[in-house]
Amino acid sequence: MMQIELRKVTPDYIEKENWEASQIWEKTVTIHKGEHLHIVAPSGSGKTSLIHFIYGLRKDYSGSVLYDNTDIKKLSTESFSVFRQNKISIIFQDLRLFEDQTVKENIEIKRILDPYHKPEAITEMAKRLGIEKKLNQLAKKCSYGEQQRIAIIRALMQPFDFLLLDEPYSHLDDENRKKAMELIYEECEKRNAAMIFADLKALDFLKNEKIIYL
Amino acid sequence: MPLSYKNIEPLIISENNSFSKWLGYFGLGIGVLLLLVSMQMFVNIQQLLQENNPRKSGEYDFISISKTITNANMGKDNTFTASDLTALKNQPTIQGVAPLISNKFRVRATAGDIIPFSTDLFLESIDNNFIDTVPPTFTWQPGQMVVPIIFSSDFLEMYNVFAPAQGLPQLSPKTISSVNIILECSGPYGTQNFKGNIVALSDRINSLLVPKSFMNWSNFRFMQDTSVHASRVYIKTKDANDPKLISYLEQQNYHLNKEKIKFSRIKSILQNIVSALGVFGILVIALALMLFSFYLQLMIAKSKDNLRLLLTLGYSPNWLAKSVAKTWLPVYLTIIVGALILTEILHLLFMQLSFVNAAHLSFVLNWSVWLTAIFLLSLTLFINLSLVKKELKTIL
Repeated sequence: MMQIELRKVTPDYIEKENWEASQIWEKTVTIHKGEHLHIVAPSGSGKTSLIHFIYGLRKDYSGSVLYDNTDIKKLSTESFSVFRQNKISIIFQDLRLFEDQTVKENIEIKRILDPYHKPEAITEMAKRLGIEKKLNQLAKKCSYGEQQRIAIIRALMQPFDFLLLDEPYSHLDDENRKKAMELIYEECEKRNAAMIFADLKALDFLKNEKIIYL
Repeated sequence: MPLSYKNIEPLIISENNSFSKWLGYFGLGIGVLLLLVSMQMFVNIQQLLQENNPRKSGEYDFISISKTITNANMGKDNTFTASDLTALKNQPTIQGVAPLISNKFRVRATAGDIIPFSTDLFLESIDNNFIDTVPPTFTWQPGQMVVPIIFSSDFLEMYNVFAPAQGLPQLSPKTISSVNIILECSGPYGTQNFKGNIVALSDRINSLLVPKSFMNWSNFRFMQDTSVHASRVYIKTKDANDPKLISYLEQQNYHLNKEKIKFSRIKSILQNIVSALGVFGILVIALALMLFSFYLQLMIAKSKDNLRLLLTLGYSPNWLAKSVAKTWLPVYLTIIVGALILTEILHLLFMQLSFVNAAHLSFVLNWSVWLTAIFLLSLTLFINLSLVKKELKTIL
């Protein structure tokens, strides 16, 4: 997949005066493979909605989201599953883990779908992010910060051209945030993938990001 | 590790509340067993009673009818007229009619020197295709001195009962063909002796049958009379128990030997019982599948969040539906193969029963039983798959 285009996308629930100043709503934005886009917006302005629109989880918007030239509203769930297996990956704000599965199982469930990495990569990444001792622990027994790191590793297990990140570091301290960011950069570079990063404010250690205000 | 359902199985199958699942399995097992056994027994009864039924030939029944003799019609002409025969032929329930033509001249039989036996006889003839046993030697042409005879096996049995008391030798079906019978035919137009030779025994027709050509020739030769006055008529029908046929015969005051159609009655009663059992089996299967589908719906409802997350992560809905449905393939296979094995065991036990002539039955289950088993397996899998697909759609 070479590009994602947001063509005059506006959530159904947003009033006109709220999107007039936006650089995304009702505008046409194209994100190409390899680009890094940082979407900055205060809470409640629709960051998560936008990420969900792009990932195809919600359809309550006008305008269209296009993968290359395909309007994703027209995609069947079956063809969407193929995109989600090897074209587009996501780190949810609400993490979405299988609480009764171990950390390792949570990551493995994603890896086996279309393995980009060998199983050993799970331990390596867990080590880098400081959760290697938690691998056999149930996900629900992990702290929120640890769960965030599990969700990051899980998203990096598959091939992708686009990586969506929805406030992925909200519960991480600076040091862990940096480690996670480095890992994500590395993985995106390996795949020459685009990164669409939504957060409350512009983060200081980002590199060459195009910043857009929602 | 390749993509396998095993990894995600714990996310979907919960072992709580599996009572309905086990009840479903049990019901399915009982239902399938009932259906398969009743099908096999239906076939067994069909084959056994057909083999034992001399009146039957292929799908047809041959039964003899005569006019009922009452005090009112006694002494009158109670033979079938040509219009009676045409009316019978026109009945939709009757596929063929053949009168038994009897001799009008006098026949006296002696058994030669071996058996000191002599008696007045009656001879009859009928269309060859109404006779159950017609050997190629059952033909006669003018000038031929040997007359082939088809003898009723009931008569042979009767003869063997009174023979010892009369000081006569008892005869086996094999030896009877070697007995020389001298037929003394006489009438106003002459007398002639023939040699009678029993060429076959008939279980179907209680008579002494001679070829039609001999009967026509001799009736004319000795009596100068070839008119047909049959007091007995054989009818060919698809079902001797057809109520329409029976009521028609009763209406016409025709007498039908009820004893003769006893086999058919027993058969139809047994087959009705077995069919009812089969229908009951189908009902049990339907109930079990319903119960099982409730369990499936409950299970999917319980794992709704996990299923939704799997779909969000990129698991294909079709693959998920197929994998979930496939989980029960081993269970269904076990149930159906188990039912087939039990059916085979019951079939073999049935063959051991004293009244069953096992030679007429195959050790292998009937093809229809196999076909039904395969059909049931496909049906259960199909129902499962469409149900899971439907439930997954509600989650999306």
